[in-house]
Order: sequence, then C-alpha cells, then structure tokens
Amino acid sequence: MSLPKFTYCEPKTLEEAALKLAEYDGRARIVAGGTDLLLGMRRGIAKPEVVISLARIAGANAIVASATELRIGAMATLAEVAQHPLVQQHFPALACAAAVTGTVQIRNMGTVVGNICNASPSADTATPLLIYDAKMIVVAPGGERTVALAEFFRGPGKTALTQGELVKEIVLKLPSGTTRSNYQKLSPRSKVDIAIVGVSALLAFSETGAIRRARIAIGSVAPVPKRALEAENMLEGCQLTPEVIAAVAAVAAKEAAPITDMRASEDYRRSMVAVLTRRALQQNQREQQ
Amino acid sequence: MDKVCITLNVNGDRYELAVDPWRTLVEVLRDDLNLTGTKIGCQTGDCGACTVLIDGKSVASCMMLAVAADNKNIATIEGLSTGQDELHPIQEAFVEQGAIQCGYCTPGMVLSTKYLLDQNPDPTETEIRQALSGNLCRCTGYHRIVKAVEAVAVKMRADGKGE
Amino acid sequence: MSQNNSAMKVVGQSIPRIDAPIKATGKARYTGDMKLPGMLYGKMLFSSVPHASIVRIDVSKALALPGVKDVIVGKDTPGIKFGNWRLFPATQDELPLAIDKVRFIGDAVAAVAAISQDIADEAIGLIEVEYAPLPAVYTIEDSLAAGAPLIHDENKELTNNISLDRKIDVGDVDAAFATADYVREDTVFVHAVSHAYMEPCAVLVEPDTEGRLTIWTSTQTPYIVQCLLASTLAIPENHVRVVKPYIGGGFGGKMELRPWDFCASLLARRTGRPVRFVLTRVEEFEVGRRRHGMKIRSKVAFKKDGTLIAKDFEAYLDGGAYNSMGPTATFLCGNFGAMLYRYPNYRYRGHHVYTNKPPAGAMRGFGAPQALYLSETQMNIAAEELGIDPIELRLKNAMVTGDVIEGVTRISSAGFVESLHKVAEMTNWKEKRASLAPNKGIGIGCYSFISGGVFNWFNTQYNFASCEIRAYSDGTAHLLTMAADIGQGSDTVLRQIMAQDLGLDPEQIRLTAADVTMTPKADLGTWGSRVTLMNGNAVLDATQKMRAELAKMVSLRFNLNVIHEVAFADGRVFAKAQPAKGISFGEAVTMWVKANRGEELVVRGHYTPRDLGLTSPAYSFGAQVAEVEVDPETGVVTVEKVSTAHDCGTVINPLAVEGQLEGAIQMGLGYALCEQFVMRDGKTLNTTFLDYKVPAAEDMPAIASAAIETYEPQGPLGAKEAGEGLAIPTAPAVSDAVWHATGYRCKDLPITPEKILRATGKL
Repeated sequence: MSLPKFTYCEPKTLEEAALKLAEYDGRARIVAGGTDLLLGMRRGIAKPEVVISLARIAGANAIVASATELRIGAMATLAEVAQHPLVQQHFPALACAAAVTGTVQIRNMGTVVGNICNASPSADTATPLLIYDAKMIVVAPGGERTVALAEFFRGPGKTALTQGELVKEIVLKLPSGTTRSNYQKLSPRSKVDIAIVGVSALLAFSETGAIRRARIAIGSVAPVPKRALEAENMLEGCQLTPEVIAAVAAVAAKEAAPITDMRASEDYRRSMVAVLTRRALQQNQREQQ
Repeated sequence: MDKVCITLNVNGDRYELAVDPWRTLVEVLRDDLNLTGTKIGCQTGDCGACTVLIDGKSVASCMMLAVAADNKNIATIEGLSTGQDELHPIQEAFVEQGAIQCGYCTPGMVLSTKYLLDQNPDPTETEIRQALSGNLCRCTGYHRIVKAVEAVAVKMRADGKGE
Repeated sequence: MSQNNSAMKVVGQSIPRIDAPIKATGKARYTGDMKLPGMLYGKMLFSSVPHASIVRIDVSKALALPGVKDVIVGKDTPGIKFGNWRLFPATQDELPLAIDKVRFIGDAVAAVAAISQDIADEAIGLIEVEYAPLPAVYTIEDSLAAGAPLIHDENKELTNNISLDRKIDVGDVDAAFATADYVREDTVFVHAVSHAYMEPCAVLVEPDTEGRLTIWTSTQTPYIVQCLLASTLAIPENHVRVVKPYIGGGFGGKMELRPWDFCASLLARRTGRPVRFVLTRVEEFEVGRRRHGMKIRSKVAFKKDGTLIAKDFEAYLDGGAYNSMGPTATFLCGNFGAMLYRYPNYRYRGHHVYTNKPPAGAMRGFGAPQALYLSETQMNIAAEELGIDPIELRLKNAMVTGDVIEGVTRISSAGFVESLHKVAEMTNWKEKRASLAPNKGIGIGCYSFISGGVFNWFNTQYNFASCEIRAYSDGTAHLLTMAADIGQGSDTVLRQIMAQDLGLDPEQIRLTAADVTMTPKADLGTWGSRVTLMNGNAVLDATQKMRAELAKMVSLRFNLNVIHEVAFADGRVFAKAQPAKGISFGEAVTMWVKANRGEELVVRGHYTPRDLGLTSPAYSFGAQVAEVEVDPETGVVTVEKVSTAHDCGTVINPLAVEGQLEGAIQMGLGYALCEQFVMRDGKTLNTTFLDYKVPAAEDMPAIASAAIETYEPQGPLGAKEAGEGLAIPTAPAVSDAVWHATGYRCKDLPITPEKILRATGKL
C-alpha cells in the first residue's frame, strides 16, 4: 500500500519554507521527523499536495541554552531532547516524556516540535511543556511571533498556526529557585503505548517550604492537553499535606473532560487523572524533602 | 510530481536513484535495491521489522521517506556480516542462543541490538528490554533474544570491539 | 518405533536451527521478498459492508486505468466453494470471490493485477460495487435470536445460524449430579484475538504455458492449498505446485486456502504472467482469521473430598461468516473440556454460530485456550469453596498414564502429576499462596494438548505424513519431507531425528521441505502440534528401512553371524558387538548401489494414526504458576514471573522447546491482559499494532521452566507435543493470580484495569 502522491521540497531557510507553505495555502504540509505525517498519509487522513521538509535547514535541530532559556529547534528529535543534559537537569518532566514517546526508532526520527504541532490530545511532551510555560516561536512569510503553548492547542489536530506559519523552535525559561517537576504516564496495555492519561506537575517552593508556584497539566483527557488551572490555584501558597494533595487531585480530575474510546473509558480516565496528579505531587514532595 | 534524484549510501555502496517522493525508504531498499532483508511488518512504525540504521541511529524505514535519506549512510542487515560464511557477533549470538524462530523480526532485532550496543556496550536486562521494545516478535517471547544480547555484549566487550 | 541402540547423541541436544544463519543475515526469502520477470502486482477489494446482496459490480474504470492488466470478480470464477472439512462437503461454505452476497466486512469481492503496486492500489478504488444491505448480526445472542437474518440462507439444511453441532456423552451425567456434594456452575465469555504473526500473508504465482501453476505462499499447509486451489480453479491437483518459502509465523492463521491465493492463481492463468499479492497489516487485522470468541457454560460436580464426578459443558462459538476451521474448534473444545482430570461422567454440547464478522479459524490451542480458561478457573473457584489447595485438588483428579476417556481417547503417557509437584516446588507455592504482600497474587493454570489429530476431515487419500530419504556414496543423505517449517523448527528437529537414527552428523543431511509436487505425498501441514510426532514417525519409518538395507551390506561384507545387531553411529555402519566389523555409511551406500546394479538408494517412510480413538495419538501436560502485582489505584497488572513444569515426552531439542514455551507465554499474556479486537457494527477498529497490543520485550515477566521427561510410546523416540499447548495455561494462571491479589475473578477476558477497579469498587 503506497502513500498518496505529493511533490517534495527541501527549502534551505525557514523563511523559504514559510513562503512555500503560504503559496500552497492548506495543501502543503511541513515534515520534520515525519512519523506523524506519514502515519496520517498512510491512514488517508493527510493528503498534502506538497510536502515541505525542514531537513536541509541549517541549525534547525539545535538545542541551545543561554543564561536564561533553552531553545529546542524544530528538527531536534525526541531522543536528542530526552538525552540532553540541560533538559534532564532543568526540565525532567520533558526528558522523561520524550524518552517514553513511541519506540526507540520513533524517538530517533520524531521531533518534539512535531509532537506538539501534531496536536494530539495524548502527545507525551505536551503536558511537560505546558508546566514549563513553553513558548512557541512561529515563523511566517512576514516575520516571527510568539505563542504561549497554552494558547497553541485548539482541538485534536488543530493548532493556532495560520496560513504560512510554522514553528521554528520552542523556548523554555530556565527555572530560578527550587522547582520540582515530573511526568506521570499511564498506558496499561503495554509499556510501549500511547498514554491514556498523562499528568505533569511542577512545584516551585519558597524557603519556608510553601508552594510559590504550581503547574499541573493533563493529557489524553480533553480535546487538547491543558492545564488544570483550578487545581494549580489551590496549591499556591500552601504547604503540601496529604489532604491538600487529595483535594487538588480531585479538582484536577474534575477539570478533565475525557471521552471513551477503544483505549479506555471516560470514567476510568477521569479517575486516573486524580491518581496520577497525586503521584506527581507526591513525587515532587519526595524530591523536595 | 517529479521524481527526486537522491544518493543512498547503503552498507558502503553508493546508489544514485530517481525516486518518487512518496516512496518510503523501506520500499526503495526492497524494490529498487533488492535489499529484501529489511522486512515490512506494519507500515505504521509500530513493529520494528523495517529497522535500519541511518548515520548510526535506528529508525523505522517504513516511516521515513526515501528522499529524506538522501546522502545519508544507511546500514541494513545485509551489510552487517562481511564474508559469505561469516556472521557478525550479534548474528552469531542470535543463532547460538535460539533467538530466531520464524525469523521475520530478526533483521530488525539485530539492528536494534547493534544500535543499543553502540550506545551502551554494557546494558542491564532492563535496558535491553527497553531498547528492543520497538521490535515486536510473536514467536520467542523475547527471552532468548535478551539472552543473545547479554551474551554478545559480554563477548564484544571481551573482544574489545564494541564499536 | 525404531530406536537406534547407540546413545542419544543428536536428539536431546540444543542444536541451533538449520535456518537460523540465513535468517540472521536477512538472506532468507519470504514470499513478499520474491520477484519474477514480468511479474504483476495484485490487490484485493474486500467488502466494506457486513451483510449485503451484491447488486452490481462495475470494473470498467479500473480496467481502463493504464497499467491494469486484469480485474476479476466472482462471476469470472468457476464459483466452487471450499473449506478444509472436505469430508463433509456441506461445511464448505466459502467462495474465493463473492458472487451474489457478502457476509462480513472483508469478504473478497474483486481482485486486480497491474504493472505496479501503486496502479493496483489505485485501480481497487475505481471498482464500483452496489450493495443492497441485509440485516446483520454480530453476537452469538443476536445471531440465535428469533427472526435473525440467515447468514447462509443458500444452505437449505440450516434453519438457523448454527452451522454445526457436536456432542460428547460419557457415563450418566445427570445421575452423577444427583449424588454430588458440591456443584458449581459458571459461564464465561472468552474473546477473539489475532495470531499477529509478523509476516503478513503473501502469495506469488507463476503460470506455465500449459496452465500449470507454481505457487509460493505464506502457508502452514502447502498440501491443503494445493488441493483446494485445484478444486476451486477446477484443474487437476497435479497442475498445482505449492512451494513453501520461509514463513514468518502462522499460529493457525495460515492453514487454509485464502482468497488471495486463489486470485493470484486465476489472474496468473488469465494474464500468463506471474502475479504477487502482499497483504498490509491493516488488511491482516480486518480480514485475517482469529481465535474464536466463545460463550461457555460449565457445571461440575464434586464429592466432599474433592473427587470430580461429573461435568456438563456447553460452548457457543462465535464463528464469524464462514466455517473456516470452526468445526474443528467446536469438536476440540469439547474434547479439551474433558482433559486434564478424570471426569467419569461428561457431557458436551458445542454449537458453531455464524455472525457477520471475520471468520474465526484455528489459533494456537485450537479450542483449548477457551475450554481450559473456564475449566481451570472453575477448578480454582471450586478449590477455594471446598477449602482445598488448588494444586491438591488437581492432584486428586489428575489424569495419569493409561487413563481412558471412553469412546474418545486413551492417554498413553502423562506427566501431569509430576508437573504439578514440580511447579509447586519451583514457586514455593504453598507458602506464597498462604501469605503474600498486599496487592500481590499467585495463581495456577494447567493444560493438556494433542500431538496431532487422528481425524481426517480433510479426507486425504494419502498418509498423514510422509518422507523420502536418499543416501549417497559420499556419506551424505537427503531428506525430502512435506512438513512445513513455519518458524517452529521442524526442519531442525526432523533432521535431528534422522541423524540420530542413521548415526549421521546433522550437517551431512540435505533437507528439502514442503514442495508438494516434489516431496512425497502427503502431509496435512503444520497445525495441532502434529509435525514432530507424525513426521518424526515417518522419518523413523524411513530410517528403519534404510538401516535394513545398509545392514545387509555390512552383513555381507563381514560375513556376520545372523545374530548380530547392526548399529549406526558416527557415520559408520557396524556390528554392534564388534565395532571393528564395519564400514562408513558412504561405503555401505556404495555397496548397496553396486549390489542393485546402479539404482539410487531411496526409501520412503509414512505415518498415519490408525485406531487411536477420535482425537490424538498422544497428549502433553503441564502446570503453570503466575505471580502478579496489581496496582490497586490504576488496576494495572504487572506479571512478575511465570513458572512452568511441562511434560512433552522426550525433549528432542531443549533450546527449541524453551523457545516455544517463552513465545507461548507472550501470546498467553496478550490473551489474558491486553489483546482484543475492538469492533463496531462488524468493523474492526483497531487495525494497527498501535491499538492491537501484543506484549513487547518490556512487558514480559521473568520465566522459569522445567521439562518433565516422559516416554511417549506413540511418539518418535518418545517425543510429543511442545509449544502449542503452552499457550493455554497463562490466561487462567494470571486470572487466578489477579483474583488472589484483588478478589476479582475474571469471567470475560481480557482482564483489564477497568474491570479490576470496577469489581473492587474503585470505579
């Protein structure tokens, strides 16, 4: 069974890629690692006339750190991100999520930016990037703009990208002070599987041990990966106690809006949001102690 | 929809080809280059039968466009052993340890093993299982395969050719 | 049986497989790897609707597509039905291409041959089929409900959707129940699962100018494909040469004629060109055979002390749209219901039910995983309620050598009791069952399986297994066998048996297998764990004849006293008591050829089980213990260890047997925990390995095993079945362990986290 037919181009710059994308107005697709696009084409969901590869754009696979931030280029693979020392040091939830996305082979091909742009509700790297307040640097023929990841997802397979726009890189601010974060994935059928629930949680602690800032993001339980804002609000200023954790977990579950599909039922997913949120918070707490 | 001219460096041999851009690497390896050791098991990147190494990294060649492999170094199962009768130590271990039954997953398993040992010459059992979890096998239950990888890791470290 | 007097030098050794090096290097050619000059690429059109009359098929646009060489539909075929149960022609209910009706999403409707795969794929999309939908049924209940549509209304003998019934009556079940101290009745639903062999089906057909065909196809049963291709094409069997290339697993899913075999053959005959079909994985999941889902009810009666006295067993098989191998599964399900323990009174009623779904066929265990899931689960429940340890209860009732199921079979060897003792010892069963950490569980499941079937539903006129051995002056020999190695290792094992009996080095034996017009007739194929026993016996029949011939030469050469035994070892043929009086195997062959004025030394061996009851010549037995941990919050089951003690008679190749065991555990775990077809309105929704989850390397538990060696008098050198039966015990063992950990007893496989949480009140 062959893939549908298309024309292929390999622009040398992002600007050129954006121009091509704009020129074909919805009939072109960007390919980075290709693992999602080829799957979509194989299933007859994606039928682009033109496929624009980012493979020849110099530096697109870079993972670059400055004193204040880390930039993950559009072609940086899941494996490269997972193994990057700075990612492991400052963004452990992302390192963990990237390391459990797909299989070894897929992680050697697929990119983090691609995982986000595919906008699957179950994308492993989405909830970690949400808790790190990731920003997407978006390139268009006219220039660049920045979109907060929380504003980026618009529905299953839908993003804030408009005509001629593509993601150049993801920017993460390096944390200041003490923060703890982790990613919890539940895939009961197999260790190698799509998450039926994914939860990431970040806690920044003050010197007294109170929570200065909290981020909780939930995946696979709504049309988009999203933050559990009410649950986050409950945590700020609190000391973590078992009661607080339980209450926060219950609220996070309420903020989920899951569906039943062939992988899991709605109520199981909702219930697991509470379990995974609690585990994520407890792990943060353990690491803090 | 023009064909694209590409150069594939496969197992040290250079092939210049004009390919349709929608053709996957595994299709070109098998159909154009007659390198049928690389198998097709799912065409969705889930089973690992089509695993090859691109510039040393394992990939699912059913999920990669052939044009994306232009100018890259590709290692397939055919390139692993050098002589007619000679087996690569990984292949030898798979044979000796009973890691091969129907054999359809074997080329992909062997290449995933090569990738693992290139990165990590002394893997734990858990690391081996994780490294091979992108390769499905329906015959062996993986047990003998894991044993083969353990055995060859020891041997290759002893032989000092963990490259 | 023939048995070499010299020590077992080859048999019993973990010899690496003959075919391992060629597979390790990627040089082994599977069907889809082969290309021929002028070859056309084929593609099937499968029905997109579950039940409908075909009003119209228009192939004109497809035919007009440049590069398309031929398109065939049902009316282009002879319209002859087929099925493996040739002995009962009424069961042969399937057409290679549908003519007036389709009965499931996936029924074959048309086929295309084109100059490239792209064009063939495109052409399929241009075929217009107009269907008049018929009401469809997807469950056993709906299919049997009053007013249900008749799926095979063309068969006037059927008044409902039950295609076949099977009865077994032993003793007086009702009278026994009246005397019981304890009676237990349970009903379970066991689900359909996929073989998920790694190599999707493929076929390549080359026609000659006289209308004969050579077919390379991914099959477990070359002879069955030959016969059924000939009958559906209405040509002589001898016009069809089926050659088995390397096969990427089968597990029962490749033991029938399939529509693409037929279509490739017809297209090849019509176009005069080779034609190849390779299925996609999506097609495999949509139209491939599967294990039968079943609804089974069992009522058992015990005495207070745990002695079983009766069993009343009834199964409804969800057969899908055609019989496929369902009649055998219906038959065997009842036989397995009576296995493992002594049931002095036993009643079975089996019903094979049509539904508008992909047909179920044979799959590893063939009726036994379902029957024994219930039997073993019920045994565990009964043990609990009777207050007897589950292993003790089993020991009390276990079958032993010499047991007879009246009118059905005799157990000629059984190492079941020993297996139970061994597995208890290996796992520290008593202590662990009595006290375990929270959320941990330990459970048991057992199995017995056939070593081939004695039944002749295929109605072959030939022997069940045959071989030919040719011997040469250079000390080598050539074994020709129709046995089909599909990855299980029969080529290696048969060569070991032959090498052992002729005293040859296995590497001196050339092997040609499964080329139906070249290898001696016949062999029914690789299924039912028949190959080692039946082909092994055929090989020994031939080696015995070969030994007799060569013994004459040594006798002549050394003027041996007639009382001398002639032995074969180390490539020599010699007087056993006076080894110096001997010559090399090659010299003996040379003498024989000279003595026979230039004739080639060729012998043939055969095996057919005769007067051995209704089921099998021999049975394997075993016991398995699973240890699990269940996450009480998520319901996720982690299987930590699986320990097995099993009796497979003489172990011919320990490495091969262990490999079978470990692979069976993977399949058993998938059956228990994560594999299932998700279907809606007859459509299979999970058609990729992303959502049809087979366990990966990381998902596997630690494995421990012990072989209990027995000597099976019906088997070659004492051997019997190993590997197929081992797919049975894992599901009941895991299920019992989950119960032990959580109190949840699964009666509708698979065991999912959600079911556990709901049962334990956490969801």
